[in-house]
Amino acid sequence: MGTLNLTKVTKSFGATDVIKGVDLTVNDGEFCVFVGPSGCGKSTLLRMIAGLEDVSSGDVMIDGRRVNDVAPAKREIAMVFQSYALYPHLTVRDNMGLALKQAGVPKAEIAQATDKAAAMLSLDALMERRPAELSGGQRQRVAIGRAIVRRPKLFLFDEPLSNLDAALRVQTRIEIARLHRDLGATMIYVTHDQVEAMTLADRIVVLRAGRVEQVGAPMELYNNPANTFVAGFIGSPQMNFLNGEALGLRAATVGVRPEHLTLDRGAGKLVAKVSHLEKLGGETLVYVVNPTHGLITIRLFGEHEFAVDEEISLNYDENKLFFFDEDGQRLY
Amino acid sequence: MAQRKPVRWHIVVFLAPAVLVYTALMIVPLFGTLNLSLFNLDETKTRLFVGLANFATLFGDPRWSGAFWNALANNAWFFLVHMLVQNPVGILLAALLSSPRLRFSAFYRTAIFIPTILSFVIVGFVWKLILSPIWGIAPGMLDAVGLKSLFAPWLGKEEYALTTLALISVWQFVGIPMMLIYAALLSIPDEVIEAAEMDGVTGWSQFWKIKLPLILPSIGIISILTFVGNFNAFDLIYVAQGALAGPNFATDILGTFLYRTFFGFQLQLGDPHMGATIATAMFGIILVGVCFYLFAIQTRLRRYQF
Ligand SMILES: Nc1ncnc2c1ncn2[C@@H]1O[C@H](COP(=O)(O)OP(=O)(O)O)[C@@H](O)[C@H]1O
Ligand SMILES: [Mg+2]
Repeated sequence: MGTLNLTKVTKSFGATDVIKGVDLTVNDGEFCVFVGPSGCGKSTLLRMIAGLEDVSSGDVMIDGRRVNDVAPAKREIAMVFQSYALYPHLTVRDNMGLALKQAGVPKAEIAQATDKAAAMLSLDALMERRPAELSGGQRQRVAIGRAIVRRPKLFLFDEPLSNLDAALRVQTRIEIARLHRDLGATMIYVTHDQVEAMTLADRIVVLRAGRVEQVGAPMELYNNPANTFVAGFIGSPQMNFLNGEALGLRAATVGVRPEHLTLDRGAGKLVAKVSHLEKLGGETLVYVVNPTHGLITIRLFGEHEFAVDEEISLNYDENKLFFFDEDGQRLY
Repeated sequence: MAQRKPVRWHIVVFLAPAVLVYTALMIVPLFGTLNLSLFNLDETKTRLFVGLANFATLFGDPRWSGAFWNALANNAWFFLVHMLVQNPVGILLAALLSSPRLRFSAFYRTAIFIPTILSFVIVGFVWKLILSPIWGIAPGMLDAVGLKSLFAPWLGKEEYALTTLALISVWQFVGIPMMLIYAALLSIPDEVIEAAEMDGVTGWSQFWKIKLPLILPSIGIISILTFVGNFNAFDLIYVAQGALAGPNFATDILGTFLYRTFFGFQLQLGDPHMGATIATAMFGIILVGVCFYLFAIQTRLRRYQF
């Protein structure tokens, strides 16, 4: 069990409102990702769920029980922090077992639980080491292990991969996804990286300035964004926003994804000058400039060669366009 | 082709000022004192190398050794009171101050630290006045709460005087361990404390299981600073009880014993050679204590990087 309900939750630090009314339900066993730019209140929202931050108004319910005034340890929640937050003076084994020890669980049971978690995360060989003797990736696994051992209803992750290098990030991401499948537990995961959000989530919650912009499955957000913010945030490289009137379309802003633009020698709907080229091997990103629409990104499959300042013409499929009004809300 | 490295003069040049100043102010006087303790005057007042004879006198002559062991025992008690009262109270105050729920913590911090920057002359004199049975306010205050029977002339009784002075010193200096521990507590990352909260380790058990182990290195430093400070102490006793460290030498510690011997006091003539001998003994005691700390304790304390 592990269902989370947030009802009209707000948070103010003094006069600044950081969370401005969030309604959300996270179902049992779901992998839910909070994504949004830095400073939009993701961590604050997560910490409110954890109980590390008081709720200014609204209700936080776990399995139908209101937990606003319940101490963090009593909420049956485990949290993995960005900085790992391991206890520096304890061995890996004691780090993982501390919560159970504090709860008065018999020693044999603690040993069994820590060994099991260690096996899941291949930490067996490191059990007697202290955090200072571990690499960043190993520390992160210990932090995850510490969360698993408690068998919580809800796992909370606050940007757990942001201190790891790129290769390790991918590897740990896969590990977390596998863990979610094996444990079947409810997980809430905070990140500012939309790739992490897309790859891990059952459901993504896009936040901006303390408000939920849109909630949905990754492909739902990709194919059906509610506004320019979500459209721009989900998908990499970012969606291009073109001037609708200049194109003769009935919308203030027209969005088109870089992968939906095609090159058309001579007969395209748009003419632009190549300004920069990024060759990634598998794909090529072409940045072009058009006087009315500004910088436009095109994503081409395979290897391509363009000269800077070369004039090229672009084409798009009308069915793959997104139309937005003046306020950035989606029209159709 | 073996090319000789050029002599790196800049190292010598940059080190020179510190080395020279330190040598002039610390090394030369230290060796001067050690040297002085090996000489004495004969009947004709000529200086004579006597080897370790001064130490034989200090430890062997009953008059000297009685005074020395008395001072050493008093000093040990003085140190023990600091370790048992000043440091635990300092840690407790720091723990309270670092609690985010405490209001006016900056005020308390300053108020508790202020005695530390007061002159020992003021502290000694003020406490003498407070505790005086004749014009002090302590008897009156105890009377006001009906506890007059508890009052005793604490500074004047042999059995209480040393402990009273030690507690006055604790009152004056408790701000130092408090500040050091406070800084150490602040350096523990918030997330580690929050992780403990999530794990159900809260309140006092959080202090014992998480915070205390992480501030142990600071407690070690404080202990050794207290040790060195206490075994060099002199001023408070001198101001409150005079160089005779009364009543009946009950508050005599190594510092006051050294002072009387070296400079003389009232009828006693100053004896620089015996004074230097006592100073050397004090140096040896502190050296042994510090070495014990460095090699036996500090090597076992882990420092944590967060
Ligand atoms: N303890 C605090 N006091 C005041 N403002 C805070 C506090 N914690 C966070 N904030 C503010 O709340 C906003 C959201 O912060 P945070 O939740 O950490 O954002 P992020 O989405 O990057 O995790 C930021 O503007 C931050 O300055
Ligand atoms: Mg954050």
